[in-house]
This record gives sequence, C-alpha cells and structure tokens, in this order.
Amino acid sequence: MPDWKKEIRERLAGLRLAPTREAEIVEELSQYLEDCYEELLAGGMTKEDAWRTAFEGLDESDLLARELSKVERPVSQEPVVFGARVAGRINLLSDLWRDLRFGIRMLVKSKGFTIVAVLSLALGIGANTALFSVVDAVLLKTLPVAEPERLVLFAWQAGRPFRVSGMSGTSNVPGPPGTRTLSLFRYEVFEKMRQARSQATESPLSDLFAFAPIQEMNAVVGDQAEIVSGQAVSGSYYAGLRMQPSLGRAITDEDDKPGASPVVVLSHQYWQERLGGSPAVIGQQLKLNKQSLTIIGVTPPAFTGTMQVDYHPAVTVPFAFEPLLQGERSNLGTKDQPGVWWINLMGRLKPGATQEQARDSLNGAFQAAALEVMPPPRKANQPAQLEPKDYPRLITESGSRGMLDRRRSYSPTIYGLFIVVALVLLIACANVANLLLARATLRSAEISVRLAVGAGRWRLVRQLLTESVLLAALGGVAGVVFAFWARSALRVLTDKDTGILPNGVDLTLNWRVLVFTLAVSLLTGVLFGLVPAWRATSKDLTMALKQSRRTTGAVSRLSKGLIVAQVALSLLLLIGAGLFIRTLYNLQQVNLGFNQENLLLFRLQAQQNGYKDERLMQFYQQLLARLDHLPGVRAATFGKVALIANDNWFFDILLPGETEMTAAGKHITNRQAVRENYFSTLEIPLLQGRSFTAQDDERAPRVAIVSQTFARQFFPDEDVLGKRVTIIDNKGEVEIVGVVADTKYMSQREELKPLIYTPWQQEVADIGEMRFTLRTAGEPTALAATVRQVVRELDSNLPVTEVSTQTARTQATLGQERQSARLLSFFGGLALLLAAIGLSGVLAYSVAQRTNEMGIRMALGAQAANVMRLVVWQGMKLVLLGLALGAATGYGLKRLLASQYFGEDAWQRQMAEQLYGVKGTDPLTFFVIAALLTLVALIACWVPARKAASVDPLEALRYE
Amino acid sequence: MLDRDLKRGSTEMLIMAMVEDRPRHGYEIGKLIEQRSNGVLQFHVASLYPLLYRLEKRGLIKGRWVEKAGERRRRFYTLTAAGRKILAEQRRTWKDFFAALDLVAGINPA
Repeated sequence: MPDWKKEIRERLAGLRLAPTREAEIVEELSQYLEDCYEELLAGGMTKEDAWRTAFEGLDESDLLARELSKVERPVSQEPVVFGARVAGRINLLSDLWRDLRFGIRMLVKSKGFTIVAVLSLALGIGANTALFSVVDAVLLKTLPVAEPERLVLFAWQAGRPFRVSGMSGTSNVPGPPGTRTLSLFRYEVFEKMRQARSQATESPLSDLFAFAPIQEMNAVVGDQAEIVSGQAVSGSYYAGLRMQPSLGRAITDEDDKPGASPVVVLSHQYWQERLGGSPAVIGQQLKLNKQSLTIIGVTPPAFTGTMQVDYHPAVTVPFAFEPLLQGERSNLGTKDQPGVWWINLMGRLKPGATQEQARDSLNGAFQAAALEVMPPPRKANQPAQLEPKDYPRLITESGSRGMLDRRRSYSPTIYGLFIVVALVLLIACANVANLLLARATLRSAEISVRLAVGAGRWRLVRQLLTESVLLAALGGVAGVVFAFWARSALRVLTDKDTGILPNGVDLTLNWRVLVFTLAVSLLTGVLFGLVPAWRATSKDLTMALKQSRRTTGAVSRLSKGLIVAQVALSLLLLIGAGLFIRTLYNLQQVNLGFNQENLLLFRLQAQQNGYKDERLMQFYQQLLARLDHLPGVRAATFGKVALIANDNWFFDILLPGETEMTAAGKHITNRQAVRENYFSTLEIPLLQGRSFTAQDDERAPRVAIVSQTFARQFFPDEDVLGKRVTIIDNKGEVEIVGVVADTKYMSQREELKPLIYTPWQQEVADIGEMRFTLRTAGEPTALAATVRQVVRELDSNLPVTEVSTQTARTQATLGQERQSARLLSFFGGLALLLAAIGLSGVLAYSVAQRTNEMGIRMALGAQAANVMRLVVWQGMKLVLLGLALGAATGYGLKRLLASQYFGEDAWQRQMAEQLYGVKGTDPLTFFVIAALLTLVALIACWVPARKAASVDPLEALRYE
Repeated sequence: MLDRDLKRGSTEMLIMAMVEDRPRHGYEIGKLIEQRSNGVLQFHVASLYPLLYRLEKRGLIKGRWVEKAGERRRRFYTLTAAGRKILAEQRRTWKDFFAALDLVAGINPA
C-alpha cells in the first residue's frame, strides 16, 4: 500500500502550515487518493498504473501547493519557491528590510512571549543605564571648564614623625603604609608656593590656586535666615579654571587682598532658588555670618565646584574674608591659634608640561614652608628635628574631576551595585535566550526545509539574529524609559543623610549613557540570539524532515544550564538581602540606653550670629526658660552632641598623676556638654553620686559626670567618685561627681566607649551651637511651628535647623543599611521572578513537545497526578542543582575574597562593618531563602504540569 | 475543454449544489460531478480541494469529521445557511444569464 500521507506531506512541507491543520489536510487528501487508487484497481488497472494515474495532477507544476497556499494561511507568509535558490542577488538592504518586517510579524504573533522578553530586558537594561549614569557622574565626568585634563591636583606625603598644627577637612588619598598622605595644605605654605611659581623663570604651571570649604554659614536673604555651605578661594581660582561666570564677574587677585571690598560669587542653583534668578542681584548685598558682602557674579549652571563630589558651595568668597566670617574659628589662624591644614591646591599646566614637572618645580618651596611651620613636639617620643626621609614631599594627580577623595570612598558601593545590576541583566538575557531556544526548536521543521531548498545557513542565522536584535532594541528603548523612572529611585539613594550614593550629583542621562545603553542592548541581542540561531540551523536538524512531526521534546542541556545558573544567582542575591534585613532588624532592636519616644529635636548655631560669652549664656537661659513653660512640653534640655546621629566630640584626657608629655593620646573619651535636667529628661539612670544642678555654673568648681564604661575603663578597681581628670585643650581639672548608665552615642552599631559629661555653663567657649531636646506630651512634630516661633521672638535672624524627632533621627542613621536591604531585596526578587518565568517557560515548551508521550502514558494507565509529578520533578531537579551551585559559588567566592583579594583581617572588618548580629555564612538565612526559592519554583513548575495533566490522551495519540 | 475561468466560477456552484440535500465527502463530490456531467468536468485532488477549502473558509459549506464504526474517519461537507442563500442567488444569476444568451445569440439550454 503506497504511503499517501508521506507523499502529500512532502508536497505541503513548504507551506509551513500549523501542525493540526496540516495533519487534517494530509489525512483528507490521502483518503481521496486512496479511494481513487482503490477504484482504479477495482476497475482492472495494475498497481503501477493505478498509482501513476492517481498521482497525475499532483505533480504537474505544483498546482496543489500553489492553490492551497492561496487558501490556507500559513504560519508565516514568506513565500518559498520550490527547488530554486534565490541566489546571487546581494541586495543586502532589501534583505535586511525583509528580515525586519518578518521579525516584527513573528514578534507580534507571539505577543505573550514578546511582552515577557521585552519587559525582562527593559528592567535589566534600564537598571544598568541608570547605574551607569551614576558611575559617569561620580567617577568619570570631568569638570565643565576649558581643557580639564590640564588641571593637576596637589597632595603631599611625609613620614609619620612629621607634625601638623591641626587639620580640618577630609582627606582620603591612598599612600604607602607608615606615611601620612594628605590633600590638605596650610595657607602660609600655599602662599610660599605661589610666590615660587610666579618668581620662577620657566614654571610648568600657568596658574596655581587654592580653595577650601567654609561649612554652615548663616545666610540672610530678605528676612529669611538659613544655613548654607560655602567655600573660600584664592584670587586666581576662576582664572586658573578658565571659568567664565554666567552673570557679572568672577573673583580676581584684586579681591583677595586684605582691605579689599568684601565680595561674593553665587552658585547657579543658589541664585535660582533663593534669589529668584533675577539679574538684578549683581551689586546687591548678601549677609553671611552677620557680615555684609557684595554679590559680583553667578557661575554657570553646569559648574558645581571643584570640591568633593557631594559638596556644592552656594557662595564663594576670597580667602581674605575668611577670618571676618569665621571669627575665632578661622582656619587661617587667630592670635591664639595657629592656622590649620585645610586648603586644597590645584594648578593648570602649560601646554606640553607634565604633572611631574609641576611637582618638581614646587617641591622645594613646599618642603621649606612646611618644615618652617611645623609645631614643636608635644609628646615625649616626638623628635625635635626631622630626618630627611620623613620630610614632606609633593605628589600630584589629575585634577580633571575635582577632588577625588570622596569619589574614591563611594567606588566600592557603586561597583558593588553595578555588579548586582549586571547580574540581573544576565539573568534576563538567559531567560530570553532560553525562550528563543525553545521557539527555535519548534520552528525546526521550517528551518530545515529552508536549509534543504538551499537557503544559506548564514542567511537564516541572520534572520533569526534580526529577531533577537529587534527584541533587544525594543528592550533598550523600554529600558531608557525605565531608566528615567529609575532616576527618582536614584534620588532616594543619593539622599544627603541616608544615601549610600553621593548627594547632588547630576543624574541626567547624557549621550554617553545613551551610547552605553545602545551598546548593552545590541550586545544582549547578539548574545542571546546567536546561540539559539546557530544551534537551530545546524545540519543535524535536517533529520526533522525525515522524521514525523514529533520532535524529541528533550530540553537541551544549554537551556537546563541557563535555568540552573539563574537559580544560583537569585540565591546569592536573596541571601545578601536576607543578611541585610536581619542586620537592619538587629540594629533596630539595640537598646539605646535612653527613652527615645516623644523627643523633639532642633539645632541652633547662635555663634554664627555673633553670640558669645555672657550674651550667649543669657540667650540660652532666656530660650530655655520659655521652652520650659511651653504647653505640651514636659521638659526641655540640650546637649552639644546629637545622639545616634553619627555626631561626635572627643578629646584626650589625663588621669590623676599623668602629664601631657607622658600620656597624651593614651586615653580618649567622648564628650558631651549638657543642661542639668539632661539625664532626667532623656531618662538615663543615675547610678552613683549626683546629677548637675543650676549651681554648677561658671563660678563653681568644675565638675563632670561619667558613664559606666568610662568608670570601668579608666578606674577599674576604684571608686570613681571624687577622682579628678584633665581634659586636654580645656581649662584645668574636673572632679567626677556622678556616674550614669551607658547610652549609645554615635550609632546603634558602635560599641560603648567612655563618655564624660560636663555642665554647659562651664563650657561657654564650646557651646556656640547646641542640640535642643524637648520631651513632649504628645506627638513631637506638632510643636515644631511653636518652637520656631519662640526662637524667632528672641532673635528673628537665627535659623532653627535640623528639626526632627529622635525616633526619626535614629531610623535615619540606619538609612544605609535600610537602603542596602531594600536594594538587594528588590534585585533578588527581580532575579527570582525572572528565573521563575524562565523555568515555567522552558517546562511549558517541554510539555508541548512531549504531548505525544504524555498521551501514551495516560492511555497506558498513568494518572494525571503522576504526569504532573513527572513534570514538576523535571523542573525541581534543575532548581535543586541551582541551589547547590549557588551555595558552592557563594562559599567559594567568600573564601577567594577573604584570602586573595582582601586578606583575612580586612575581610572580617568589612563583614563587621556591613553586617550586625549575623555572620555572612549564617545557616538560618540560607535555609529560609532556599525554602523560599523552592516554594516559588514549585509554583513555577505547577503551571505547566497542570497543562500536561489536562492533555486528552486521544488527542495526543492522534499526533503522529 | 471549457475555458478555465468559467470553469472555476461555476464549479463552486456545482460543489455547493452537490451538498445541498445531503452531506458528502470530497471524493464523493468529485466523482458525482464527473458522472453527472458525463465526464466533461473532471476533478483531481489538486483542483478539488483548494475549492472545497475556499468555500469552507467563506462559510458557505461546513466540513465535519465523522467516525463510523469499523471505518476510518472521513470529512463530510454540508451546505450552510449562508451557502443556501448564495446558491439560490447564483442559480438566479445563471438563469438570467442564459436567458440573455438565448435572446441575443440563440442558445437554448435544455
């Protein structure tokens, strides 16, 4: 009996009909032929004749295929010409255009797949783009000045014995161990260097200038007083940067002379926000710290200063006015105090000059000046004369990005985030690759026919690649949209107090970011498209032509591998999230040592308004008296240091019998200056002795109260009451009259350190700014407006800042931990979702392929439950493998980082810094996360398993 | 023999007419038309089925798989309500056409 079906099927292969439809047609037509054949046989024909007659019309000019193709709508509409290869026409553009249209049609056809794939890619690409804009803004962007690469930043290195007269500011310059490496200079040293440069006949530098922050100045505009951040600059600052102001003029050398008229330059942002962006501000007066200065210019919008990445000065003044503004706190030095090292130095190279030349040209002047201002030794082990090897010497680095210190400190966080986000993108790509692989298998019949009729393999690969690149392009576009949205999320991450990323960076998506996105999109498109395309068009698949419709149904090893990898990565991310969540929880449970409920906080910087000595005391007395009697306030108190706010104030002390020469620096204690009712207001228990009273004022003997830890550490076996200690840089001894219970000081994390309290009236020189704490009867924030009013009545020019509640402040201190926990949870959850979708998709395709096998099993008596179990187990095998792989990778990674990269101790320190109350290899976290993963995976497997079990066995068997 | 276009247009009507009173399967339809036309209209699998499928697509006939005991299942076609309407219309059209032919060129259909 001739095989009609085979003959018909062969002739219909090129039509790419849907499987069910093709089966129907084949069945019907073969019946016709058989009826015809039977009839001819019955009529007396021979078998060969009958066969030939039956086939008569079939072979002529492929009429059947042509006619049917007009009627039936094939799966795709690209016409295939039998037997002829569309050879020779190298019309690449029209081919690509056709590929594109075809690709679009294919994607529209399977909308579900397209949406899932595009969304996964969009999330991955978008997150990467948003992160890259941070990397760009923080680490890569250069200053918006002319030829920033010619700018050079100065720092210096010296042996440990080299002494400085004091330091103010941050410095995070890497240097060899055993040395001091600082980016801060002293003004006198700068002046000598400037002189050397201008006197040199052939200096490699065209300019040398300096700048330094003046933090928290009191600025009064109209009747509004607020605290602004500012900077002081040398006369040639703007000239050296080649920076043109957008309005008015910049500061010049003429303005930086003693006796010059006080001037100030505003930042663009400050000008817009506080002065309405009005051009009329030039020539107007601005009050800073009660000094009147003339506004002479505004800098362009893109310029936010040359300082640390998160410090954007609103106002800039010449150095000549710093003493006027800072008064006794002047860093340039007063009659009592020498100047400190607090200035940053920058220079501009002449064309052709190098950093080394600049450094060498100034090193001599620098060294001489630095040694000249070195203070005499204070401790016994300090030599009076320095050895030459410890002499300070200049070092240089590129100044094109401004100060680098804090940028460096953010690098680990940024790179860490980048890795996480890149991993998520990888998972998304793996997903899409898997789905494409499965689809390619389904289209294997189509592909092998096209290969058989002579289509080039490269041509087919190109078409499949077009589809995946199209998918990636869509994902890229959606990703940019997502990145825009992510910027608001990034703003939370860059919050001033709680952010793990620097504040105030310009996060706009510039062209560099867009190019990056495009590159990432294309790369992902090629990445996840190439492998499936290559595999699908391999010659082995031509077997599918010879075979019947049923394909092997086995999920390829590559697909399995991808799923396992996804599960492993999700595990790692989620464990990270779990560890941070537990850390956060542990930190929130820490006992602070005082009652933090219903406490309203605010800060006053009376010193900025010129209050001091007697006037300051009077001011505080008046204010506190009014606050005491405010309705809703149970008690009002204040202290110098804010609690649980990363604030501190610490000094050396000398125990009885010690002198500065013998024991300076041996004992360090935290300090706090408080009102008498401080302990009762905050509910800190008094353990021994007495609390402060109003009688402990400036005329009474100096007293102090210490914490338990202080007593334990410095007077372990004695009664501490009555002992006298000396606080260095203070006036004389204090007698300890009481002991209170320990409280946490800087943060929840920090271990307990010794703490000494002194009464505020005995600390008049140091209490220019204080933190007020009010115990309220009800909700603290309800009294905020009233409190501002009270202060305004006493002095309308004194801003009330940092109004908050203690509970909010305590929470804010945990901001970084909270952000890390949130971020890792988000990305871990995302990774898990993507992995689950991928697992579900791959299993679904597997089930679709194995419909025949399922039918046979069920026909032979298998229950639906058995079939379901089969499918679920197929999936869970991969998940369990993934969990094992993830655990092994995590452990291996930890060992690698600990031993090779960081070193065992540094690793332990890092872990201690990041986590709290839980170890990195915590087993409970691992098991909980693994259980969560397994549960989600079970659900992901259950959906296609249900489908498998609901297959009608007869339907399944009908598929040949 | 007959002009191809004319053949195609009228063949659809013939097929519909064949399944008017009772359902028939493909081979039956083709054989029946061949017989009744005394061999003038002959069908082959390549010419019949595209027509059948086109009619089915337009909703004028409807195909159904029917399984009889002891036999393989076969596809039977019936005329739909829409098909009936079109068939009646086509009959009228052809009648008018031949009446016109007769008037003009003296062709007298039997």
